[in-house]
Amino acid sequence: MLYRENGQFKTTYAADQQIFPIAQDRWTILGILLIAFIAIPLLVDEYLFRAILIPFLILSLAAIGVNILVGYCGQITLGAGAFMAVGAYAAYNFHIRIEGLPLLVSILLGGLTSALVGIVFGIPSLRVRGLYLAVATLAAQFFTDWVFLRIPWFTDNSSSGSVSVSNLQVMGWQIDNPVSKYLFCLIFLTIFALLAKNMTRCAIGRQWMAIRDMDVAAEVIGIRPLFAKLSAFAVSSFFVGTAGALWGFIHLASWEPAAFSVDRSFQLLFMVIIGGLGTIMGSLFGAAFIVVLPIVLNQFLPALGGVFGIKISTAGVSHAELIIFGGLIVFFLIKEPHGIARLWSTGKEKLRLWPFPH
Amino acid sequence: MNHQIGDVILDLKNVSLAFGGVKALTDISFDVREHEIRAIIGPNGAGKSSMLNVINGVYRPQQGEIILRGEHFARMNPYKAAKAGISRTFQNIALFKGMNVIDNMMTGRNLKIRSNLIQQAFWWGPARREELAHRAKVEEVIDFLEIQHIRKTPVGRLPYGLQKRVDLGRALAMEPSILLLDEPMAGMNVEEKQDMCRFILDINDQFGTTIVLIEHDMAVVMDISDRVVVLDYGKKIGDGNPDEVRASPEVISAYLGVSH
Amino acid sequence: MGFFLETLIGGLMAGMLYSLVALGFVLIYKASGVFNFAQGSMVLFAALAMARFAEWLPHWLGLDSLWLANTIAFVIAGALMFVVAWLIERLVLRYLVNQEGATLLMATLGIAYVLEGIGTSLFGNNIYSIDVGMPKEPVFILDGLFEGGLLINKEDFIAALIAALLVGLLALFFQKTTTGRALRAVADDHQAAQSIGIPLNRIWVIIWFVAGLVALVAGVIWGSKLGVQFSLVTVALRGLPVVILGGLTSIPGAIIGGLIIGVGEKLSEVYLGPMIGGGIEIWFAYQLALVFLLFRPQGLFGEKIIDRV
Ligand SMILES: Nc1ncnc2c1ncn2[C@@H]1O[C@H](COP(=O)(O)OP(=O)(O)OP(=O)(O)O)[C@@H](O)[C@H]1O
Ligand SMILES: [Mg+2]
Repeated sequence: MLYRENGQFKTTYAADQQIFPIAQDRWTILGILLIAFIAIPLLVDEYLFRAILIPFLILSLAAIGVNILVGYCGQITLGAGAFMAVGAYAAYNFHIRIEGLPLLVSILLGGLTSALVGIVFGIPSLRVRGLYLAVATLAAQFFTDWVFLRIPWFTDNSSSGSVSVSNLQVMGWQIDNPVSKYLFCLIFLTIFALLAKNMTRCAIGRQWMAIRDMDVAAEVIGIRPLFAKLSAFAVSSFFVGTAGALWGFIHLASWEPAAFSVDRSFQLLFMVIIGGLGTIMGSLFGAAFIVVLPIVLNQFLPALGGVFGIKISTAGVSHAELIIFGGLIVFFLIKEPHGIARLWSTGKEKLRLWPFPH
Repeated sequence: MNHQIGDVILDLKNVSLAFGGVKALTDISFDVREHEIRAIIGPNGAGKSSMLNVINGVYRPQQGEIILRGEHFARMNPYKAAKAGISRTFQNIALFKGMNVIDNMMTGRNLKIRSNLIQQAFWWGPARREELAHRAKVEEVIDFLEIQHIRKTPVGRLPYGLQKRVDLGRALAMEPSILLLDEPMAGMNVEEKQDMCRFILDINDQFGTTIVLIEHDMAVVMDISDRVVVLDYGKKIGDGNPDEVRASPEVISAYLGVSH
Repeated sequence: MGFFLETLIGGLMAGMLYSLVALGFVLIYKASGVFNFAQGSMVLFAALAMARFAEWLPHWLGLDSLWLANTIAFVIAGALMFVVAWLIERLVLRYLVNQEGATLLMATLGIAYVLEGIGTSLFGNNIYSIDVGMPKEPVFILDGLFEGGLLINKEDFIAALIAALLVGLLALFFQKTTTGRALRAVADDHQAAQSIGIPLNRIWVIIWFVAGLVALVAGVIWGSKLGVQFSLVTVALRGLPVVILGGLTSIPGAIIGGLIIGVGEKLSEVYLGPMIGGGIEIWFAYQLALVFLLFRPQGLFGEKIIDRV
């Protein structure tokens, strides 16, 4: 099928303001959803669910959240891990303290709690910008690290903050095997991605982007930085917190604060930068890249060493992984600072013009 | 439509502004009448842009007050100014680089948006209807400024002259009652300047918008403005209709004398 | 009173080390607009090189003077830091000129991973010791003034002294030498500096090298106190609050900021820690810096800037 937008005339603004104004895009998305919801659960084996697909879905959700704050609103954060932690532990507390609270509600309340904390830690953004803000968000990271490690109330008095959940179900649907976990996360991601897309194409999204691009001009138009920035912090933290709750409840089932360390924060930031700042699609690309890369390297390096007759030790592999990972990040930033999403859209552009390049 | 020049709508009293040791404005007073085109002229660094920034609250003057439709403000802030119907363009184009033309202009509708975040997230009825209504309004401005062909272009890719036009479009999308223009024709060629002049006159004429204009091109200023304020080194050295200003010896020596 | 003073002095001494780390950030930020998250990895890399060469050299060369082995190891580690600086400029920085702050920050995180990977592959990832003959025993000072005197850790004292010396030298270097002035010109305006013929690329190599040396000294000091191990990378995270407190571009800011954070941390640990559970020093510094920023967003010595429009 050719990728063409000619002939698809829009006669109303409503038609022009659809999420995917081009028909071929709509079909592609529909196809992807069908594959994701039907084909994959039937075909894929357990290892892939556990090692790649579930982490990918959850981290994509978190990356969308980070992208809302960093990519759309222009506020750099190095504390995303903290909001995952808040989401996970808050959901945990709702789950164990309120008898019979449905799982879905616990998870969403985890997200909401994270949104509130996000607003508090977003306050510095009203006074400082850029890299100063980035460092300020580390305050959130180290503070929550400490809280969940040292204050036993939050972790049901368990030692060193390690907690676990079991026997999860939603309205009678047992979420215990990889396929059900995968589907549960997929539903979350699909709905949240849609919400994010809607927000970013509406007034609130334009407010965020205006603040990002030129905050003085935004103010002059009547955008209140207070509302725009704090709403971005809140929405972002809601997404990230929900992802945190899923990560704890669904992916790990038992976890401790280290699951949401500053490394996690960096990882999420990598995802949105490599995927593409300011695009929802890019968040997914970035998450896929970061989730898959270490696994590929892990499989590939010993094999490569074998070809040259070198036996690479486990430690050697993990060092090489670090080097290659770091190198790839730098390479990416140099070659395509706008991320995978940009490659994707230039690809589409080419396809649209094909076979006449100009 | 014909809008008669009316009463004083905006009155500045003894405004002084300094940045550290630099006195950008010293004890400036002048007024703007409803529906008029009021020009501010002066050599580089005279404090013209600072004046506009004081009017809509981007800079906070140390002294003086602003009286807008009879209401006194010791300090304006940008939000209050926007609420009161003041919009503006910028000397160094301040468009939102990451967005296309339509989105830039849609931001101008921001104060008129009523739907909330949740409704927008769900693309709920009110949010959707509102979005479409504002889009229609923005399209009117697009037609008015004759920029239909670039509506989906990211503003960063536009040539300078068109960027200035989009900047004006964003300000117009607010449906302002007072429009502040900071050198809207700087860096344009003759043809673009003529277009811009036409737009300014049309805006003033059709919508009755009061316009405060900074411009270096004397011919244009003398041509289209009703009254002119002259600043030099942060001080007011002339105020009156174009002919008076042109005849003032002080102005000639300080400003016209320099450029000729 | 004596105890309070002891805590205070301890804080000031620790603070001097923070200043040193913060200085590494400030130098690079001033000269290249890069917020260098790899600073911690540079500390680790330099310290590893120093520790391992000091250990290997006596075997290779049959040296038996610890002092000589340490000196040569220090020189080699310094030379390595030069190579690192040169490679970073060659392979990364020159391709990323004029990119946004966030992109540059990410790039330095990438560099950090590479450095950590290479460092641990070359030098191993166990705990190594650096023995530069720092005295370990505590001493009493001012026992004339206070009953029993003040208990001071000699090692901390010497470390603080070295840090202070280096900081002072660097400040002098920036104020007095031609290269230093050129560096400051670059910091103020890249394009202008380029147009008057200051070779940007060379300046970057120099500045990253200087930051590398600062990292080396910090690594040696910390390494001899705590052992050289992977957790040295977190040393940089301790320097960050100092940087936002003092301002990213201010050398005096880094110095005073370091002292404030050092003292604040020690006092809070001693007086506040027991009340709320201990281990608070890692976030306390950040909150301190944050609260400070809310009142003075431009930092300690930054000028208030009003955006021009
Ligand atoms: N944000 C600011 N911070 C510091 N100084 C400023 C700022 N804005 C303006 N100034 C100073 O105030 C004085 C007046 O500047 P202003 O921009 O108002 O002049 P102008 O008349 O608009 O000049 P031009 O014709 O060049 O646009 C100048 O000396 C300028 O350097
Ligand atoms: Mg001006």
